[in-house]
Amino acid sequence: MRHMSVISRRVAAAAVSVVLVGGAAAACGPKEGDDAKGGGAEGAPQKGGTLTVLNRAPQKQFDPARLYTSGGGNIPSLVYRTLTTRHRANGAEGTKVVPDLAADTGTPSDDAKTWTYKLKDGLKYEDGSPITSADIKYGVERSFAAELSGGAPYLRDWLIGGDTYQGPYKEKKGLDSIETPDEKTIVFKLKKSEGDFPYFAASTQFAPVPKAKDTGAKYAEHPVSSGPYKVVKNAGDGEQMTLERNPNWSEETDKERHAYPDRIEVKSGLSSAVINQRLSTGSGPDAAAVTTDTNLGPAELAQVTGDKNLAARVGTGHFGQTSYLAFNPAVKPFDDPKVRQAISYAINRTSVVNAAGGSSLAEPTTTFLPRQKPLGYTPYDHFPAGAKGDAAKAKELLKEAGHENGLEITLTHSTAQNFETSPEVATAVQAALKEAGITVKLEGLEDNDYDEKIHSFEKQPGLFIAHWGADWPSGGPFLAPVFDGRQIVKDGANFNTARLDDPKVNDEIDAINKITDHDAAAQRWGALDRKIGEQALTVPLFNPVYKRLFGKDVKNVVISNWTGVLDVSQVAVK
Amino acid sequence: MTTELLTTAEPEAGTAPASGPPQVWRRLRARKSALAAAAVLGLLVLLALAAPLLAAIEGQDPNAYHDTLVDSARGGVPFGDFGGISAEHWLGVEPGTGRDLFVRLVYGARVSLLVAVGATAVQILIGVGIGLAAALGNRLVESLLTHVTDVMVAMPLLVFAIALMAVVPADFPRPVLLAIAIGLLQWGGMARLVRAQTLSLMKLDFVSAARLTGGSTRRVARRELLPSLAAPVITYAAVLLPTNIVMEASMSFLGVGVKPPTPSWGHMLSTATTWFRADPMYVLLPALMLFVTTLAFTVLGDGVRAALDPREASRLRVGRGRRKARTSGAGGAA
Repeated sequence: MRHMSVISRRVAAAAVSVVLVGGAAAACGPKEGDDAKGGGAEGAPQKGGTLTVLNRAPQKQFDPARLYTSGGGNIPSLVYRTLTTRHRANGAEGTKVVPDLAADTGTPSDDAKTWTYKLKDGLKYEDGSPITSADIKYGVERSFAAELSGGAPYLRDWLIGGDTYQGPYKEKKGLDSIETPDEKTIVFKLKKSEGDFPYFAASTQFAPVPKAKDTGAKYAEHPVSSGPYKVVKNAGDGEQMTLERNPNWSEETDKERHAYPDRIEVKSGLSSAVINQRLSTGSGPDAAAVTTDTNLGPAELAQVTGDKNLAARVGTGHFGQTSYLAFNPAVKPFDDPKVRQAISYAINRTSVVNAAGGSSLAEPTTTFLPRQKPLGYTPYDHFPAGAKGDAAKAKELLKEAGHENGLEITLTHSTAQNFETSPEVATAVQAALKEAGITVKLEGLEDNDYDEKIHSFEKQPGLFIAHWGADWPSGGPFLAPVFDGRQIVKDGANFNTARLDDPKVNDEIDAINKITDHDAAAQRWGALDRKIGEQALTVPLFNPVYKRLFGKDVKNVVISNWTGVLDVSQVAVK
Repeated sequence: MTTELLTTAEPEAGTAPASGPPQVWRRLRARKSALAAAAVLGLLVLLALAAPLLAAIEGQDPNAYHDTLVDSARGGVPFGDFGGISAEHWLGVEPGTGRDLFVRLVYGARVSLLVAVGATAVQILIGVGIGLAAALGNRLVESLLTHVTDVMVAMPLLVFAIALMAVVPADFPRPVLLAIAIGLLQWGGMARLVRAQTLSLMKLDFVSAARLTGGSTRRVARRELLPSLAAPVITYAAVLLPTNIVMEASMSFLGVGVKPPTPSWGHMLSTATTWFRADPMYVLLPALMLFVTTLAFTVLGDGVRAALDPREASRLRVGRGRRKARTSGAGGAA
């Protein structure tokens, strides 16, 4: 089950939810870096006022040990400072990792198996007491406790002794692989090289928790804040939350968060139609409202783009995610590379993108890595299908494979109305393959059934619509779970659907993990993606684009390519 | 005038069963609204049957995508006015896919009508069977069947239908499955009605006479009760039909209806709801079809009920007489 939550939670964390994805023809997608622009109302941002966040999903399990976030999350990041954090900047600049509690992003040694951090001076909790390295160690240890499960699985895999450690409640001694030689220094000792450690150190598990104030499972109700806001109300497991300014947070030690509003009200459990309607009307407190998890749907987008005032209030973001067709070669006829190639040629990315909401909500892609340099994006198109598919080439390949009389296959999808794995996308694939003489039967499953079936090693269908998002902007968490042969999970959630276990690929993954220079590593990930792509183990379809409304009084809208979502810590309402 | 007085006096207490089919037919024909409704339904059935022909005439396929007809950058809203109406696409195209709406609507009629008629047939079969058995059976059978019926009436249909759809193999034809599912779960009202009607019929002289002359329960049910039950059953079925169409729509809405890409009005309506501002045509078309069909069934059902009721029939004639008098008066003035 371990990666099961990776997808679902990652999606929640990055506020993807009902992601309406659409796309442009491959050639005219936006260029790297200029895609996500800031925006918002005119005038310099001022302190004060109340910001309202209208969301569908509640801030469940608001405990730093239990949150599954990318880069510390959006709202959690207002309360929890972490060793490192996301750079709060527009576009590609926002995929960089920067120091937060630590003075730098970490000093690697021993082939990136040891990571040392020094804390800044003058760090305080909301009650004014100092933050120490022992509190960060304790915060990490808490996440190993069974009662505080939910976080990302990496700590358990990476830290020496992490696979057997049961958390500080059962094992008071703590983890030996985390050392705190003094109050300002913390050292992590890993089993293997992890050049991406600084990116993961932005997760809430690296937030300090004062041992004396730890209330176990109840900690989420009133966590001790290290960030610019403290939790004054948390009702209905994160459904209604009120955050107020933390007087002991100092801007001098925190260059990333701005904290303009005095107060933040989080209201969740709303439907996307309600959220978008309230944001577009913007009456009363909704004029100073934003959403971190609700996209504009295709129909809403058509409406908004026709209205200049509304169109100016749409933030566009790119999150590192790819929707693709996954093949399971254990099921015939997908064991035959020619059949997989034929399907790759036959796919009509224009109709798939339209099904996902059109070119403003999805960009067609032929690479598995999303169109973002920090993730290692390297263009390739091994089976050029053009914008509309190459049925003739597909038929030719099918003939060579011995299916001259056509082929009947089953495509598994979910019935969730998410414009990603939903029936719309499945029927678009079906219509395109029909042109190439492939009859596609659709197997639509209820969302939970679908999740269970596509991740079960035994039951994995031969062909299904899948999507994969990055836990942090790097090629590692994108490629390794899906193509690393040692991550084939037989008794839990398996993401290596292709069952690829190639020693060359495995060795290259290990080699890149030793690199601590992100740009150099990105290049190698890109080359690896290009190489794996030759085997046609997936058919990359599109990358999502987020289009989200914000209220008319909202200023200083910053959308990074790390999250693709407007950053709550930057927003001003005065 | 005397004849009219006689007819009004004739069916005093509704003691006798409705008169024979020819009279009923005559009374039905006299109701213009019922005739119009029947014509509309006939047209709809014709449309559904001729779907492939109509598609060929228009030159469109219900499942063919037309990427160039929708504005991808604006969420896939159709180019052109009124949802992209053109000489090639008579009622415009579907947003996002560019599939032809006219052909999808006529093919959708097949599913919607088939499910509605099929489900109603199942409901009549089960409802009449259970209702008769409950009224005629011994105390044990009666109380058992009455309680089962009560449970069926109280059951949350959608939840059970969804569960049922999940159990049945994926290959089973969905429209048939939908008809059976709705029919199997929604016969409670029909059973109650038939039981109550049968119990009141049993007290009437002609039934008593049949029993006294030695007719078996089965024979009495077949020869005496069933013909008399026709009126209420047909009336109620006319109410059930539109309910079942809406039920198919709501099942499709929840994703347990017919499978994509098969068009159905319910499914079209469910995907169209978000488009009501950006592309009103897309919402209006399936909504209008559902509205017209439901209205036609209701009006026809009302007509049949009236035609089967002798009292209603006589009132009808009085009304016609009055109207005639008024028009002649007006003519005189002119």
